[in-house]
Amino acid sequence: MAFLTSVRNLRSKLPSMLARTCLVHSHSTSFGFKEVPEEEKSKMVGNVFSSVASNYDLMNDLMSGGMHRLWKDRFVSELTPFPGMKHLDVAGGTGDVAFRILEKINSISRRALTNDPAEVLNDETQIYICDINPNMLNVGKKRAVERGLGESRSLKWVEGDAEALTFEDNSMDGYTIAFGIRNVTHIEKALAEAYRVLKRGGRFLCLEFSRVDIPILKELYDLYSFSVIPAVGELVAGDRESYQYLVESIRRFPPQDKFAAMIADAGFQKVQYENLVAGAVAIHSGLKI
Amino acid sequence: MYPTVVKRLIFSHFSTVSIPRRFSHQNSSVQQPLPQTTVDETLASATTSTETTDEAHRHDRQSSREGERRRGVEYEDEQAHVLEAALRHVVRLGWSEAAMIAGAKEAGVSMAIIGSFPRKEAALVEFFMDDCLQRLIDRINAEEDLKNHVHSERIAKLIRLRLEMQAPYVPKWPQALSIQAQPANVPTSFKQRAMLVDEVWHASGDQASDVDWYLKRTALGGLYSASEIYMLTDNSPDFRDTWAFLDNTCSFVKRHWIEVSIFQH
Repeated sequence: MAFLTSVRNLRSKLPSMLARTCLVHSHSTSFGFKEVPEEEKSKMVGNVFSSVASNYDLMNDLMSGGMHRLWKDRFVSELTPFPGMKHLDVAGGTGDVAFRILEKINSISRRALTNDPAEVLNDETQIYICDINPNMLNVGKKRAVERGLGESRSLKWVEGDAEALTFEDNSMDGYTIAFGIRNVTHIEKALAEAYRVLKRGGRFLCLEFSRVDIPILKELYDLYSFSVIPAVGELVAGDRESYQYLVESIRRFPPQDKFAAMIADAGFQKVQYENLVAGAVAIHSGLKI
Repeated sequence: MYPTVVKRLIFSHFSTVSIPRRFSHQNSSVQQPLPQTTVDETLASATTSTETTDEAHRHDRQSSREGERRRGVEYEDEQAHVLEAALRHVVRLGWSEAAMIAGAKEAGVSMAIIGSFPRKEAALVEFFMDDCLQRLIDRINAEEDLKNHVHSERIAKLIRLRLEMQAPYVPKWPQALSIQAQPANVPTSFKQRAMLVDEVWHASGDQASDVDWYLKRTALGGLYSASEIYMLTDNSPDFRDTWAFLDNTCSFVKRHWIEVSIFQH
């Protein structure tokens, strides 16, 4: 989902950041960022998305070697979903995370059924999938039908901005954002919104690309992301530039410690992170009290 | 869709999954701060060694601690409330996530908080162990008549005091033992038992730290565990058989202790 949406909000974030930081290979893309006006950019990104939507899953699998599935599994098990949960998955248009949460809840309630039928609250489970891009939501809805979840009352598809959520204060048990917060223009605002909508005891979880700091792995990872990913993007999705944006936006996202501090500043407690694949991906979590 | 072997390979070889880093001020092994100084020191020394101490981390922890103070509620307190409430459901639901969910419901916080306990039901068992130890320490401080007992009787009395605390949970206690025996939970459960045994020795009036320090603690640990296991299958009213067993074993150990001591020197 967010591999592609990564591009969608970069328009406003990148120019300023490019001015500040010197990037590897920045010469190859920097003028592109500077020359393209915001409105055109969003249209471009929209077009890119519709052209690659069919290859979306394939691209994720190719770029991560299939590991994104494991990361998402790990992410959802970290959340510990429960029947009757009210959950908000932001930037989750394609439903990858939401489906996993729902499956997990269903397996729990099946088990619970044998023990204590009174405890089953499955009907009340509500998973809101919020995405700024309606195309992403459409992909997710289509996939829900394919999975036989089309009729599920638990899944609710909402078009919305992570910086200005339409949900009430203290209304959610969980908030997840997988490969999405990197693309939000003001991360602080998105975190503040997450804090606002969560109930006391509710948890914030974020799955995002992060920093690899282990010397040799770091070089390999850079080589891979700047040489292989754009090439694969060109070959499979027919769009080199958007994948170039993807890898650069990953470099610009704050490293684990800094992002964790931002989460703590938003008011969350027990802020922790866990590195997967040496830090190429990190799971951050926070608890609202 | 992926074999677990692949999962294991990827996560174990290239990740730091087992060491989630901490930013806010926290103590994962003990949810409730114990005011007693000896216990606190043991815990502090045990936890600081695992924490990273570079400048950035210290700064982060500092700033988040200030943030917590501003809000006035520490998450540890909230977690303790949840666990405290969950204990009331243990007899019915066992040492399980279900009990913790019931506890969260009762404490009036979102049930999602259960996800913030990394080892789930182990947190509940450990909370109970800490709680019992604290109550035992309080009783030791409050009760003067302990000093009137003979040494071995004092030990038997203390173990009985402690075991009585888990009497209501006896039908579910095997489950707690199995949770404590899981590899991930062994370090904490071992530490908690060591602290308990240590506390009992101190309360019995033994302040020595001579060569048989380990021997004393091992013997007492065995005595405690044996009684604990005996209690699980004891159907006599008010666990009368357990207390008889405890007294017998205690005097047995006492009788043979002299022989062991002679053997040592």
